[in-house]
Amino acid sequence: MTESRTSRPGTAGREAAPRYRGWIGQVTRSPLYAGTIGVLAASPRARLVLLVIVPLAWIVTFNIGPIYQMGRISLMQTYPAPDSGAVLTLDNYRLFFREPLYFMPFIRSLIFAALVTVVTLIVVYPVAYYVAKVIRPQNRKRALLLLLVPFWAGEIIRTFSVIMLLANRGALNYLLREVGLIDRPIPMLYTYFSLSFGVVYLIALYMLLPLYSAIEKIPSQLVDAAADLGAGPFERFRRVILPLSKDGIVSGCSLVYLITIGVFTAPLLLGGPNTVIFPEIIAALFHASNDKWPAGSAFSILMLIVSLSTVGLFMKLVGGRSVRLS
Amino acid sequence: MNRTDLTRRSTLMLLGAGAGLVAAPYVIRPARAQSKVVNITTYDKFVPQSFIEQFQKDTGIEVRVRLTDDQGKQYNLLSAEGGAPTTDIVTVTGHRLSQFLKSDLLVPLDVARIGNFGNLAAAYKGAPQLTIDGKVYGVPLLAGFEGLARNTEYTKPTETWGYMFEDEFKGLTSYIISDFLSIVMKYQGNDGDYVTYEGKPEIAQAATDKARDFLIANKDKVRKYYDAGSEVQQMFLNEDIYLAQTWSGPAAKLIMDGHPIALSIPKEGTYGFLYSFNIVKNAPNADAAYIFLNAMLASPEIGAAMTRQSGFNSAFGGVDKLLTDRERAALALPQEQVERIQFFSSVNRQMKNDMIDKATAEIKAA
Repeated sequence: MTESRTSRPGTAGREAAPRYRGWIGQVTRSPLYAGTIGVLAASPRARLVLLVIVPLAWIVTFNIGPIYQMGRISLMQTYPAPDSGAVLTLDNYRLFFREPLYFMPFIRSLIFAALVTVVTLIVVYPVAYYVAKVIRPQNRKRALLLLLVPFWAGEIIRTFSVIMLLANRGALNYLLREVGLIDRPIPMLYTYFSLSFGVVYLIALYMLLPLYSAIEKIPSQLVDAAADLGAGPFERFRRVILPLSKDGIVSGCSLVYLITIGVFTAPLLLGGPNTVIFPEIIAALFHASNDKWPAGSAFSILMLIVSLSTVGLFMKLVGGRSVRLS
Repeated sequence: MNRTDLTRRSTLMLLGAGAGLVAAPYVIRPARAQSKVVNITTYDKFVPQSFIEQFQKDTGIEVRVRLTDDQGKQYNLLSAEGGAPTTDIVTVTGHRLSQFLKSDLLVPLDVARIGNFGNLAAAYKGAPQLTIDGKVYGVPLLAGFEGLARNTEYTKPTETWGYMFEDEFKGLTSYIISDFLSIVMKYQGNDGDYVTYEGKPEIAQAATDKARDFLIANKDKVRKYYDAGSEVQQMFLNEDIYLAQTWSGPAAKLIMDGHPIALSIPKEGTYGFLYSFNIVKNAPNADAAYIFLNAMLASPEIGAAMTRQSGFNSAFGGVDKLLTDRERAALALPQEQVERIQFFSSVNRQMKNDMIDKATAEIKAA
């Protein structure tokens, strides 16, 4: 710290800066370098801008860049563009509204994502509450770690574990047969049940962590005070715990919804002939025998816009102003 | 807490480190591309691991395998890479070759550089599916067909594809929609390969729609539409399905492994195909690709290993003698069933792909 303070520009620190040997020295001593870097790093603000450039370049290149490229392809008639140049068109977007074939799976995806989000919230909330409030503070980290164990395995492995659980010769059917409840296996796999079950299992973590974080911060005294004032368990939950955990609910639901709406592997492995959702349709366009990338890109952009708008609306309506504890 | 100042030196060091991290993959990648490497895009279990290890040891060339499960995916990715492909060898079926050539994605093979080319089985030397204008575009690898696979414990032998649509198998069948659509067209007495529909789009569309409607009407028989051979194998093992349209490879593999599966070709017929290894235009490691292809053809043992792994018939000579009786039995079909195989043609692909793709999406969404 002392050294950094003494080496500020305009101080003796700069004069005392070591002289580098070799090509680094040549570069640092060159007037072009001194002129350019001298100007760029002359003030704290310029230095901040310099530092921001790298993460910004990363975000622009790897986050915004692919979306931009997707948007560009979505406006092309064919991809790759012929040597004569790309022909721009909106036909790929019109195709979506013209063909109910594509529209219906899209609506199905939105409804599916909304339902999965609600189910995940209902399933995970009590777990998060239990870990955050019921378990002793010294054991909380251990309990949380235990809940995270399945997430150490990859998504594909966890999806296959669901298959092994729900298949006709899977663990669940085996158990039911062994205890004499069924003679023939219940077809659980490749249905909405298996798909929803699998997706909830895969994404529960994204609901658990925001909820845990929000619930843990609720002072127990507030709940105790509500109880002292005569509020029953349900009333305490409705008027104290739920409003104070709203931030976690909004964050968790937004994350889960956005992930579910774009989920691809789980429907592919766990879904059946009647559970086709929009990401599968998009993937089919990218895998089609002939060139369908522009249509696939247009559909992806549409899905991005609608999913982000839906979450934005949700945050606006439900998020509102958070309850702050002073 | 101490305040950290942004000095000129710390700013530049952080900036340099960050830029270095961002640029690292681009600095490292070209360096690796110049090393001895061959990149192969192929199906799961097509190239035996033992052969890869031996090849790498003998030649010092690193083999990098990228898996695919569909011809369309390969084509689309190769098209997107344009004139700068990142793969050297792809696995194209004979009937899809014309599509790849039309987009100028492959180069003819310099057969003189593959000294072991003569080791192919007689039937596959100069296979017509891979020879265009006298130029050879692929090394024949494995041959297969689309068959009716059934669990022998829950089904009886059948001579018709219609068995797939009987009520007792509600929710117990599976197929690849695009492939089965062609078979259903054949089952309905139409041309599932669209060869005779060239210049007759109305007739082709009517035949496609008829098959599509039939499959939609019988959707309740389907447990799952699948894409990869491993999926149908898994469904048979878990007894989630009793009947399926499959490529011969995955079904034969199950039979070889002793599972109660039988494979047959119903009287309405089916389609066959020939996989080949092809060299990509502007392949970054073309020399290594030729060395790989030559080494692969060196011994029938390699062909036998491919057959054992994939379940498809090898195109290499002398493989038959190396297989066990059970392996041979799994691959063999009665002569009258073999005669029902019609190899996919490369004629009228564009129309076929367009109509089949659309119908596939409609069946899925129905």
